[in-house]
Amino acid sequence: MLERCIGERRIRQIQRATRNLKLTFLCLLLTLLVLRGTIGAGKYGTPQQDFIELRHRFISHPHRALAEEHQPEPKPKQSDKDDEPPLRSLNNPYSLGPKISDWDEQRINWVRRHPERPNFLTKTKPRVLLVTGSSPKPCENPVGDHYLLKSIKNKIDYCRVHNIEIFYNMALLDAEMAGFWAKLPLIRALLLAHPEVEFLWWMDSDAMFTDMAFELPWERYAPYNLVMHGWDEMVYKDKNWIGLNTGSFLLRNCQWSLDLLDVWAPMGPKGPVRTEAGKILTKTLKDRPVFEADDQSAMVYLLVTQKDKWADKVYLESAYYLHGYWGILVDRYEEMIENYHPGFGDHRWPLVTHFVGCKPCGKFGDYPVERCLKQMDRAFNFGDNQILQMYGFTHKSLGSRRVKRVRNETSNPLDVKDELGLLHPDFKAVQNRAS
Amino acid sequence: MGVKGHPMTNGSRNSHNRKIRRTFNNIKITVLCGIVTILVLRGTVGLSTLLGLPSPSQQTDPAMLEDIDRILREIRSDSDPDSDPAVEYNSSLSNSTETVKTNYTLGLKVTNWDQHRRNWLSFNPGFSPDPNKPQILLVTGSTPNPCEQPIGDHYLLKAVKNKIDYARLHGIEIAYNMAHLDQEMSGYWTKLPLIRKLMLAHPEVEWIWWMDSDAIFTDMAFEIPMTRYDDHNLIIHGYHDLFFKQKSWIALNTGSFLLRNCQWSLDLLDTWALMGPRGATRNEAGKILTEYLEGRPDFEADDQSALIYILLSQKEKWIDKVYIESSYYLHGFWTGLVDKYEEMMEKYHPGLGDERWPFVTHFVGCKLCSSYADYPVERCITSMERAINFADNQVLQLYGFAHKGLESAKVKKIRRDTANPLEVKENLNLEASLSF
Repeated sequence: MLERCIGERRIRQIQRATRNLKLTFLCLLLTLLVLRGTIGAGKYGTPQQDFIELRHRFISHPHRALAEEHQPEPKPKQSDKDDEPPLRSLNNPYSLGPKISDWDEQRINWVRRHPERPNFLTKTKPRVLLVTGSSPKPCENPVGDHYLLKSIKNKIDYCRVHNIEIFYNMALLDAEMAGFWAKLPLIRALLLAHPEVEFLWWMDSDAMFTDMAFELPWERYAPYNLVMHGWDEMVYKDKNWIGLNTGSFLLRNCQWSLDLLDVWAPMGPKGPVRTEAGKILTKTLKDRPVFEADDQSAMVYLLVTQKDKWADKVYLESAYYLHGYWGILVDRYEEMIENYHPGFGDHRWPLVTHFVGCKPCGKFGDYPVERCLKQMDRAFNFGDNQILQMYGFTHKSLGSRRVKRVRNETSNPLDVKDELGLLHPDFKAVQNRAS
Repeated sequence: MGVKGHPMTNGSRNSHNRKIRRTFNNIKITVLCGIVTILVLRGTVGLSTLLGLPSPSQQTDPAMLEDIDRILREIRSDSDPDSDPAVEYNSSLSNSTETVKTNYTLGLKVTNWDQHRRNWLSFNPGFSPDPNKPQILLVTGSTPNPCEQPIGDHYLLKAVKNKIDYARLHGIEIAYNMAHLDQEMSGYWTKLPLIRKLMLAHPEVEWIWWMDSDAIFTDMAFEIPMTRYDDHNLIIHGYHDLFFKQKSWIALNTGSFLLRNCQWSLDLLDTWALMGPRGATRNEAGKILTEYLEGRPDFEADDQSALIYILLSQKEKWIDKVYIESSYYLHGFWTGLVDKYEEMMEKYHPGLGDERWPFVTHFVGCKLCSSYADYPVERCITSMERAINFADNQVLQLYGFAHKGLESAKVKKIRRDTANPLEVKENLNLEASLSF
């Protein structure tokens, strides 16, 4: 048909030209692809990455159960999604609960009425509740839950030796205070529900006990209501946002603490409140990066701006590692084993090794995953060795999960005393029973 | 004009061939262009979007997954190999996996343990038990390695939280074991050397309560009626008829039992352990057990069958000190219980411990930590979540909260906050003399 319009020769020319164009176009594309394969195309990736991606998608790894198909989570009901709280506006102040003004009196009366649950176990040792927790959802990192399990076992061991009770929280009591702020409503609820508890010890899930023999110096804290690891200078003078650490701290169960929680909480509610508060904190505190308000910076800010009201009852402890940043500790464990022994709690044998920034449960931490997990294993074993030695065992090495016997069996087990005296330590004996 | 037959046929065949060739060329070019288009699009929008799947590179860094892979491989290579006969501290067993071990012992024989214990307690009054409240040590544990399925670790974590809650409410201590103390006693037999070690190291403990990691407390208010057992040394859930008459291999359940810290228990453990050492001993013992017990399948000796066998075949020696408890669910098999929780919440209350409000719901056969289970994984997970939340509600109600549903992790307030929280606390009725 076209032939009749234009002429046969023309048609053939056009056809040839089209074919040539097609070929040229195809060759160009192929060249580009080959170049991409050799030198890469930046964010467009390389075939190697394609291969890895395809491999990960189509070859199921046994540990990759983080993928949705392996986790038949209860289907998110529409009702669950509907009750996300509306974001609080800046002129609507947040409150943790109805104001209580006579808590000390209420507490004393209760304790008097219930002598079977005294708030002091001996003259100096208070009743302590260690509080920690994690999300009720499976970790995004496939080994995250395993490390959370080891972490709680570590805490169970320390607390059994030191006669401390544990509360493991997995409930978000107030959806507005999600994230690092979730501890505030939890702490308040626990203080009010447990008047017999003298001190509440909050501990992050990524903090581990590495000195099983160290008993906290309770008499030192008799005049104080809040004990955190930190340095007075760094907080009050430098206004440094890491001048103290809220990953491991003690809070006395009293009116002062309830008031402190009320003053601490307002920067917490999700949304514009937290974002705006974050800006204030970054402006006021030294070296603080730009991000939403966190509980630790808010505490520094509180102490700095209202020093007269709170500082006299706050003790910033730096004589031992109530919180010990893992980066400067984990490589020295073998050196510590050689030169020192448990019981110091300080740089010689840290009480707590805190894996700040590792986030073993989440997707992205601030440090390489391998280093974090390997070091967490070492810290765990370092602490676990002190428990196992009670029973005559120890880990084969700080990196090994296997154990070996270090003390021979005997037919008179009660004649043997464990080296660290942790089986029946003095600080565990309850003197009331003796009378 | 011309004849319409002959020349037309030739021409039509030629044009037919030309058509086929043209079509073929077109198809080739279409396919090539298709491939090229896909590759170009992949470069711009990414492979996953193209296939309509969530992009992994946005969710997890492939490099991180490589790291975790490597770590898991290292961890697994370090674990105790099952067939490793070289035991560090007992070289006399060097090639004994092939022979039945008649000389295996849990440890050096301890005699007169009761007297030793009494002496120790009189010298250490700070640790001597309250006569009104015998000290119980709840013992549980799991493998030191990450579970084969990550969801297994997640439920181990929730289960230990559940045990922490019960233990706190009832003044019980917990020991969580993650060490293989004895290479020979692997698998379900690990509890024997562990229980013995803890008994001997803790004379202040009156009762050792072994509980499997897949057993969940579902009645937080129920207190074990310890006074019932003054004359007994082993408290175990089971059924009299199944045990005495039918000699069934599931007549008793060793997933949750209490053992008194005394000489009798040490002797029982020594006898019990004889069927445990892995290899030929355990296999041979398995055959004996399958023959003796009703309904037992063919497999190596397990601690439960072995205990039933010992208590039946050496009845006169042991049975008078064994209390076979069936009046409450010291162990409650999960399949018949998990669907009834809502009905229980409607009709009954905590503190009963029996079929109306089970004390313990035991997820036998779920084996979430390993990759072979007797039940579909999804059913196990949903049921475990329900049991855990059912129990958690009983703890949360002390703080005025409850789960939004038994399958939901979210909680809601069930009681308004007040400025007099202790008045509320005094009036809270948990149906038992709870310390909290």
